[in-house]
Amino acid sequence: MRRMNGTQRRRRRAGLLTGGLAGTLLVGGAAWAAEPPRPDEGNAKQIIAERCSTCHERQADGSLHRIDHVRKTPEGWTMTLFRMNQIHSANLSPEDSRALVAYLSARQGLAPEEAAPFRYILERQTAVVETPITDGDLSVMCARCHSVARVGLQRRDADEWKRLANFHLGQFPSIEYSALGRDRKWWEIASTQTPDILGQKFPFKTKEWADWQQAAKPNLAGVWAVTGHRPGLGRYGGTATVAAERDGYSVRYDLTDAGGKPLTGTGKALVYTGFEWRGTTTLGGQEVREVFAASKDGQSLSGRWFLPEHDEVGASVAAVRTGTAPTILGFSQEHVKTGANARVTVWGSGLDGGPVDFGPGVTVKTLSQSATTAVVEVAAAANAAPGARTVSVGKAKGGGFTVYAALDSVVVEPAFTIARVGGNGGTTAPVSAQFEAIGYLNGPDGKPGTADDVRVGALPAAWTLEPFNEAAKLMEDVKFAGTIAPSGLFAPALAGPNPQRVFSTNNIGDLKVVATVKDGAATLTGDGRLISTVQRWNDPPIR
Amino acid sequence: MKHLKPLNKKATLVDQAVENGQMDEVVAMQVVVGCAATFDPGWEVDPFGSVAALCAPMEADLYGCSDPCWWPAQVPDTVNTYPDWNAKAASANNDWRALQSVFPKK
Repeated sequence: MRRMNGTQRRRRRAGLLTGGLAGTLLVGGAAWAAEPPRPDEGNAKQIIAERCSTCHERQADGSLHRIDHVRKTPEGWTMTLFRMNQIHSANLSPEDSRALVAYLSARQGLAPEEAAPFRYILERQTAVVETPITDGDLSVMCARCHSVARVGLQRRDADEWKRLANFHLGQFPSIEYSALGRDRKWWEIASTQTPDILGQKFPFKTKEWADWQQAAKPNLAGVWAVTGHRPGLGRYGGTATVAAERDGYSVRYDLTDAGGKPLTGTGKALVYTGFEWRGTTTLGGQEVREVFAASKDGQSLSGRWFLPEHDEVGASVAAVRTGTAPTILGFSQEHVKTGANARVTVWGSGLDGGPVDFGPGVTVKTLSQSATTAVVEVAAAANAAPGARTVSVGKAKGGGFTVYAALDSVVVEPAFTIARVGGNGGTTAPVSAQFEAIGYLNGPDGKPGTADDVRVGALPAAWTLEPFNEAAKLMEDVKFAGTIAPSGLFAPALAGPNPQRVFSTNNIGDLKVVATVKDGAATLTGDGRLISTVQRWNDPPIR
Repeated sequence: MKHLKPLNKKATLVDQAVENGQMDEVVAMQVVVGCAATFDPGWEVDPFGSVAALCAPMEADLYGCSDPCWWPAQVPDTVNTYPDWNAKAASANNDWRALQSVFPKK
């Protein structure tokens, strides 16, 4: 049979259905039923041909100038179309843009391996300190204004990267100052060396993309075992039931939080480029956005969900398909102290195949057990050996659980993050910061802060703020920048000039965030750093 | 800096940083992602990776950023991209509440 693309296939399917052959199709169409739904590309080709090509001229080789020579993520294409409307009055409707993002992401996206190193920016992770790209000082040329990830999530050849440099110069004429033009021949570098390096590091044509274009894309319908972590609130887990719809998926979440309270909801998702899951779900009564990546074989999903207006508030997600290899994904509580009891929920897949075992010295009473959840009461003997445990439930095994007698150190996570002032009648919401106190054991070397330290997990702590440096002390940043709650949640102070401060400066600050943890008679402290700074007035999906 | 004399505390700090060889730290770019820029003075963080040497309050000189397109990744530039961004806010210091973030969240 002649190979058909997705649109042709759908048309043919629709044709058959209207022809009254639906029964035949459903009975005999197992392979078609397994074909994953794709986001609706609408009349994307027509929009490009009729409207985009009025500026983007067709080249001698048949390609359209610029459009056909760039690959991006769905968010990258969204930003491009936004810019076309903003700068060039392309007048694309939301429907046009949705169709174009679907079409362009499928035709010119990034392969799973290409997007993997930079997913944190798509997931809006809050506390990532990037690794500078040292080749040709790219971090100086590009990442003084943008994240490194914004660069790394685009693929172009050198000539097309050079056009991007030209765009910057034309659109932002004073860029020479930002690009250190006073200290070096910046344009010579930006228009010659930089495009060459980018073209080598992030070229348009790659084996990864060629292979992914050819690969069968996974159908993500099914029942998934899910777990994740909500900073400040702890872990959650349960199942996600995913069903194929016309152009995407519906999903139902049956989860519980660390305390056993239900966390349920339903949502819808589109999957771009065959693996980029973008969902909108109402979870626990709140609307959340999902940015997940499916594995190439369609057996796992990972990513983050977050609140649309507060993307700093969210959770990590890891999911595996149920009914495959038994595995443990996580625990509602990651530790038990010797001589103490704890109720622990184990989340994973295939957890109904045998007894629950936390290793020697830990007795287990199973309260309930299903394929994806086991609830147990564990009791660690006073002489149970402290250290990391491999827990098993039948054939399912998993690490990440620790027995401890006494903590050796406390680390604050994140070690370094930012918050932003907001509110006060302005239009930008404050950006909060959530901290957690993580207990550790020293491990075999007996020293804290080394690679063999054993993670005990999040523990209750008393939280205080201190000036990070002399200037912060002088400016009384602790007094003005915000407050930290007993949960470790930092709430920044109000936006706007503050007449009570020197120079009426904003309520910004450089703070040391100190956690104090009581462990028996011992008191341990750890600290992190928080810069609470000003709002962004330009806040795109890829920063 | 031989021929320049610092006139205020911030300038003195910059002077000291040069003398102490700390300016290289600016190039290291060890800041949290999304917190762009560590240059003079930086939108979210200052050249020393803190906030004390930021141009603050931000509102006092905000249009000094947007008009000459100084921080286009953080502040809408009114040169080319968002010419009307601050049309309803004649004074950033007084009218900052009327300013919108330009990329829609939904």
